[in-house]
Amino acid sequence: MAASSPPPTLSQSLALVWRTLRSMRTALILLLLLALASVAGSLVPQSPNSPARVLAYRQDHPLAGALYQRLGLFDVFGTWWFALITTLLFVSLVACLVPRTRALLRAVGQRPVQAREIDAFPQYRERRVSSAPGDAIVASERILRRRFFRVARDPDRPALAAEKGILREGGSLLFHWAFILVLIGVIYGKGTGFSGRAVIVEGDTWVDAAANYDGQIRAGRFFDGRFTGIGVRLIDFEDRYERTGQPMDFVSRVELLDADGEPIRREDIRVNHPAGIEGLRLYQYGFGWAPVVVVRRDGGPIASEPIVFVQDEAPEGVPQLAMPWRGVLKLPSLDPQVGIELELWPDSRAFVQMLETGEPVAMTSAFQPLIRYAVWSGRLTDPSPLSLDTTNMTREATGIVGADQVVALEDGAVVDDPAAAGGLTIGFPELRKYTVLQVSRDAGVPFVLLAAILILLGLLPALYGSRRKVWVRAEPDGEGSVLKVGGFALQRKARFEEEFPRLVDALARAAGEAPAPQEERVGIR
Amino acid sequence: MTATEWARISNDAFNVALFAYLAAMVAYFAYLAFRRTSIWTVARTLAFVGLAANIVSVVARGLAADRVPWGNMYEYSSLLALLVVAGYLLIVEGYYGIRTLGGFALMFAVFTMAIAVSFLYVGPGPLVPALNSYWIKIHVVAAISGSSLLALGSIATILYLIQDRVERRRTAALAARDPAPIMGGSIDLDVPPDFAPDADEPATPASGDRRGRLPSAATLDRVAYRVYAFAFPIWTFAVIAGAIWAQEAWGRYWGWDPKETWSFITWVIFAGYLHARATSGWKGRRAAVIAMVGFVALLITYYAVNLWIVGLHSYAK
Ligand code: HEM
Repeated sequence: MAASSPPPTLSQSLALVWRTLRSMRTALILLLLLALASVAGSLVPQSPNSPARVLAYRQDHPLAGALYQRLGLFDVFGTWWFALITTLLFVSLVACLVPRTRALLRAVGQRPVQAREIDAFPQYRERRVSSAPGDAIVASERILRRRFFRVARDPDRPALAAEKGILREGGSLLFHWAFILVLIGVIYGKGTGFSGRAVIVEGDTWVDAAANYDGQIRAGRFFDGRFTGIGVRLIDFEDRYERTGQPMDFVSRVELLDADGEPIRREDIRVNHPAGIEGLRLYQYGFGWAPVVVVRRDGGPIASEPIVFVQDEAPEGVPQLAMPWRGVLKLPSLDPQVGIELELWPDSRAFVQMLETGEPVAMTSAFQPLIRYAVWSGRLTDPSPLSLDTTNMTREATGIVGADQVVALEDGAVVDDPAAAGGLTIGFPELRKYTVLQVSRDAGVPFVLLAAILILLGLLPALYGSRRKVWVRAEPDGEGSVLKVGGFALQRKARFEEEFPRLVDALARAAGEAPAPQEERVGIR
Repeated sequence: MTATEWARISNDAFNVALFAYLAAMVAYFAYLAFRRTSIWTVARTLAFVGLAANIVSVVARGLAADRVPWGNMYEYSSLLALLVVAGYLLIVEGYYGIRTLGGFALMFAVFTMAIAVSFLYVGPGPLVPALNSYWIKIHVVAAISGSSLLALGSIATILYLIQDRVERRRTAALAARDPAPIMGGSIDLDVPPDFAPDADEPATPASGDRRGRLPSAATLDRVAYRVYAFAFPIWTFAVIAGAIWAQEAWGRYWGWDPKETWSFITWVIFAGYLHARATSGWKGRRAAVIAMVGFVALLITYYAVNLWIVGLHSYAK
């Protein structure tokens, strides 16, 4: 800019920004930027999806890891720059759509405009017909309207103008506006929604309340913090497998209870078959074993509860189902405190095989289950219910307890009458399963679904439709008249070239096609 | 028949299809080189034999596994090859009357099937529960149909880029010669530029096939656009159906897992392509380059995500 020219005023600058945002080129570049940002998000591990891989990456590549962290590459879809691209795209979208929508509304309100010289259009034909000019135009209007043309008669003479294909622009606009609806649905749904996990042992009832979720609740920014108080009682959980160990079905049979604990109905929750209640959706997420372990001191029970066991991830080449299950039982009331590490083998044959040949065997169902235990005494420091920190503890004993057995912790001897036994005993009276349900609320889903439908509905006419204009004029000719038809298409011209003669045939037929000799002038332009 | 017998039939038919496609590919390229109608007849027959065998293979696979035959990468690949060849024979050759692209379409099918049988083979079997959903069947059919069409369009785009270059050279050479020849030039002088049909119309069969020569750049561009415009809503629908499935299976319709992310990237790039076609200064070569980038994204979505990048979808291996 030349030094002498005055600096642009604020409104001029804003107008420039607005004009830039409205341009197709900006939209194009923003779309490509969005794609590029997403590429980054798929190549670098993302902490919302796989936090463990992010940690591993940061350990393996400290320098790159720190840099990525600064750039937000571990959570691309949550960074400010991703939000910026999206926002700009949406502002640009609105900037494009407002004038286009106004123009469309104006076009809808307007009647098709009469033409002066219709033989100048790319498509042009003449036909002699038997009706008088006025009747020929009435007949033409009927035919054109039947084919969804909008028709305007010329008030001054027997002529009409017709057009169709507003759907193309309308579809395109619908398609583009629907993205705004997607955005609204996503922000509303994610903002007011939450998701968390419920762990329920067979026979137990879980109640929807903040404290009852396992681990963290992922809540939106505008989540009102209210929970429904509904209950979910797990009747039983079933997992079925092929002989190959491939899973076939996971079912949680549950009874849903209202906030007062009254049963509402029963549901089977499967993978791909969630249950819905009071705006919550319950999804099958995971499962595991929860053996009931009873510990007695001098015959009196001091712990008798189902304990949720978990599995370590199987090493390469070992089926996950071959892995034993781990659990921890803590007895803080004893002095010194006692922690018991437990290892469940749901199928004792796999345990035997492991001892004899070292070969892992998948355990698809329970068969004479057994629990190995290690008793530690000292101070319980680890607050987690799933792990035991043994650094300040000493190992007192190890042993095995089978299903329905009771053994003395001290020497591992089987006890026949636990009520009469002295010292600590451990019993394994029952093996239950537990299920993990993902509980989530997303009130935006219907909006997003509606938007998706609108996107598809709009896309079809936008891509396949075309705007076509046709003019008809009838001039007196002896007994009848000459029908002059001209027209053109804004898009898909080749198809219109085929459609046009058929249309003219139909118009001529309706107006009483004159018998031969047929004169026809074909306009090729 | 038993499941094992069906499985054997499926595998045999797969091999027949692969070799028939390979032979058809060679014949189509021979047709491109020698321009004999008899060669084209042979090529087309071989392609139809391959297609029939491919269909038998897919159907037998479904009977062997007792479910829809699209549950893993091997099956997707077989179906993808089937749809690309069928799409070529019906749309490009049948509708547009272009015979010279067969070698390229079949090359894509041969690569897809060869990769499938060498690296992706698994025996027929039931689906894991997460894949056992109404929506995934719809999702996969749409995704494979969309992919096959996008692949066909990309073949046309690649040839467009080549042909466009050739034509530019020729025009430049003609312009350098003085005086400009009125007749005898082999480029399309029969359509004055002002009256060249719109970019988005189908090429008429008559102008499309000049017997053995590649179609003109303008025709290739138009065919590519029509095919992409056909594929785009299908791909859009595939992404939506996938989101609906994700909502049913995992309780979130979108989670940016790698497969989702890459199908989104592919979709956004092709949306960019459609915009480029309507932007002055971006038509033609630049738009074609965007479409090529979209094709690479499609291949990554299809192969790389399943094979190298882990995500929820990777159990679909
Ligand atoms: C949310 C991002 C966007 C997506 C996914 C998108 C996608 C598309 C698609 C698929 C088409 C072709 C279908 C049709 O003709 O209607 C299209 C056309 C169009 N888009 Fe967009 N678009 C987006 C944003 C924008 C923006 C920001 C503008 C403003 C410059 C814009 C302006 C247009 C116009 C004018 C057309 C019609 C082109 C023609 O005449 O063929 N779009 N868009």
